[in-house]
Amino acid sequence: MKLWVYIVRRLLLFIPTLIGLTFIVFVLSHSGGTNLVLAEYVNPRLTGEARTLLIQKLTEEFHLNQPIYIQYFYWLYQIMQGNWGYTNTPIFSGSVVTAIELFLPNTAMIAAVASILIWVIGVPLGVYSAVNRDSATDQVVRVGSFSLYAMPIYLIAVALILAVGVYLKILPFAGVVNPLLVSNLSWYHNGISYPTHIILIDAILHNNWQVAWNAFLHLLLPSLTLALATVASIIRILRASMLEVLDQDYIRLAWSKGISAKLVYNLHARRNALLPLLTLFGLTVAFLLGGAVVIETVFSYPGIGYWTTQALLNNDVGGIMASTLLFGLILVSANLILDIAYAFVDPRIRY
Amino acid sequence: MSEVLKVKEVKQQFYTRRGIYKALNGIELELRKGEVFGIAGESGSGKSTLGLTIMGLLPRNASVTSGSVLLDGKDVIAPLREYATKSNQKFNFRRNENVIKKMNRELSTIRGNKVAMVFQDPMTSLNPVLQVGYQVAETMLVHQPRTLAMRRLARANAKRSDLNEALKVLRATESDEKALEDFFRNKGLEGLTEQVISIWRRKDLADAKKEKMILSLHSEKLSWFDRFVLNAVKEKGNLPSWLSKTPILSRYTRRVLLKEGYLKALELLSTLEVPNADKVIRMYPHELSGGMRQRIVIAIALANNPELVIMDEPTSALDVTVQAQILELVRHLKVKFNTSFIFISHDLSVLSEVCDRIGIMYGGRIVEIAPTKEIFDNPMHPYTKFLIAAIPTLEEKEIQEIGGAVPDMRFPPSGCMFHPRCPYIMEICRERVPDMIQVSKDHYVACFLYSGDNK
Ligand SMILES: Nc1ncnc2c1ncn2[C@@H]1O[C@H](COP(=O)(O)OP(=O)(O)OP(=O)(O)O)[C@@H](O)[C@H]1O
Ligand SMILES: [Mg+2]
Repeated sequence: MKLWVYIVRRLLLFIPTLIGLTFIVFVLSHSGGTNLVLAEYVNPRLTGEARTLLIQKLTEEFHLNQPIYIQYFYWLYQIMQGNWGYTNTPIFSGSVVTAIELFLPNTAMIAAVASILIWVIGVPLGVYSAVNRDSATDQVVRVGSFSLYAMPIYLIAVALILAVGVYLKILPFAGVVNPLLVSNLSWYHNGISYPTHIILIDAILHNNWQVAWNAFLHLLLPSLTLALATVASIIRILRASMLEVLDQDYIRLAWSKGISAKLVYNLHARRNALLPLLTLFGLTVAFLLGGAVVIETVFSYPGIGYWTTQALLNNDVGGIMASTLLFGLILVSANLILDIAYAFVDPRIRY
Repeated sequence: MSEVLKVKEVKQQFYTRRGIYKALNGIELELRKGEVFGIAGESGSGKSTLGLTIMGLLPRNASVTSGSVLLDGKDVIAPLREYATKSNQKFNFRRNENVIKKMNRELSTIRGNKVAMVFQDPMTSLNPVLQVGYQVAETMLVHQPRTLAMRRLARANAKRSDLNEALKVLRATESDEKALEDFFRNKGLEGLTEQVISIWRRKDLADAKKEKMILSLHSEKLSWFDRFVLNAVKEKGNLPSWLSKTPILSRYTRRVLLKEGYLKALELLSTLEVPNADKVIRMYPHELSGGMRQRIVIAIALANNPELVIMDEPTSALDVTVQAQILELVRHLKVKFNTSFIFISHDLSVLSEVCDRIGIMYGGRIVEIAPTKEIFDNPMHPYTKFLIAAIPTLEEKEIQEIGGAVPDMRFPPSGCMFHPRCPYIMEICRERVPDMIQVSKDHYVACFLYSGDNK
């Protein structure tokens, strides 16, 4: 089978997965007695006559007099139109689509920096640990990664804040930028930077290197926390799979060719050892998302995770629904991308 | 005749959770240049372990407690032996592994270059994520970049008239390779000889087609950068370090050599009669049959024309026709390049077809060594006699079985390893290890039946 047939098939599988997810959330959110649609679509700033009129209109449009499973389909139809309703939280109040536009880039940013950190910390340590098994370094790496693995993510965050932020005072640990630096900038209003909404990139676009550097420093601690929480399992699994690969006949054949140790480890062994990790990366994405919720809250970092916490705390149905959907979408697409990547890396996989 | 390999008194053991397996218990072996030495013995007698010990390719739980393996003027296993004998403390896996790593570094100049090994199981011997062409080319890329550079440069520098003349030389001298080699050397195109010959020798093509292929060898041009790289490799023997150390540039630089490596791999596979070799070099191991993989593994071993090739059951995965082909190849290489072989097989009839001498292994010792004909005509050790009687023949339907089982090598029998199964057992067999004694020219046996002092 061709690769594109496989991709199309996987894309089709998307649909039932997402329908299942949204249906469960939709039904559950009604169990509290509030109507999801009304909570989601009535602009909270509206009052009086206008509000009553809007509710009437919505009842008609969403068929709110019908049984719940019928309501669900009308609601889904609106979602597919890009009509995601309203959110009302202390950090942002307005259309959900705008909220996503504002918060998602920030989350993508720490996830990206964290992924790079995971890669540059995890892979060399895992490989080194396996190649020098039982050495002192290996023992330290093993104990260290196991402790990290056992630690809840907020503990890592608090420990880092105390050590690096409060005690050493070398890195900032709240927000995205020092507010004093951005108070008079033309491209920054009300905590929102333009045009990409990622302050680091916007500062670079506007050639403001002082702000860019400050924004970069603000990025480090949350990203590092996210990376540390994930890297432990990467190291442990890579070490184990590398040890297994190093025992294989084809590695013995590689040694018998008289090629350098570097070539044996970094090409012949590592490429095979990384394959199981690729599957793990699907889980890592889920872990990163979950971690982002905690970490962004601890660091008051205005990303999707922080917004989700705020929505939960304020009973903001629009925000909860939207972030659930969004997380589902990200997870399913990440897994799809990884499966396709797998096909490119492992020649044995055929669809 | 000079020796390529001298194995003396090698004792080797494996540390495992279940105990210490004494795999080799005093191996003596000398291999002459251009000789094919067969090793036969039951499963578990230590044949593969002997091959691996000669290559210095032991796992971390392997300890060499005595002996030496002299290969290319070097004692291959000296570091392991020194570790095992020097330290009076307990065997430590990590320290032993560090010694093995050091050996890997030291032996990298001879492995794959002077000595190569074909491993027992072709299904697991190839790297699943690398193209087979690369796996064959890699050995050449590491050990003989100059040869590759000369091949490529010769193709770029040759004119059509040179190749036409070369064909005339081949026809006039009735395919004399020496004459062709001289012809190309005079022209400064040494790298072309083997390329022309390998096409010329192909059996699957018509003459007209072969001539056309040879004539088209000159048509590939080189970019100035590639030419610069190849010339540097030709002069210095390897890539200039400022090129090979720079991350992205090094990959770009190596490309032209790698491509040539693939072409040489293609040639090598064609001589091994791999069908569709040009497609096969771009395939991954899982796309190939067992027999095909075995040929790739053999191609990897032969890539640099090593002086000694250890073949561990190279024909067991192959059907009879391919098996015959491999045996033919061994004979050919032995004559043409004076290559020595250690040919391991549990099948004496296969060994009888190619080997000059055969050694019979039992319990980690060689119990009898003799020229091939002699071992069949006049087997002396009781175990050899059993092995030969166990060969199925057309006339005899009934195969004689050897009673008893291979000894548990954690607790090897005292004295002669074979005494628990031997029908001629004497008192002394339990007490002393028999020495190798010479019974006739080149025929040695380790058995008290022949030593005279068996009273
Ligand atoms: N890595 C290892 N760890 C522990 N014991 C081993 C190891 N490799 C081999 N052995 C033991 O060494 C002995 C000899 O094994 P070896 O593979 O050399 O036998 P062989 O003659 O090649 O047998 P076969 O004909 O089945 O290939 C066996 O008893 C085996 O259990
Ligand atoms: Mg074996």
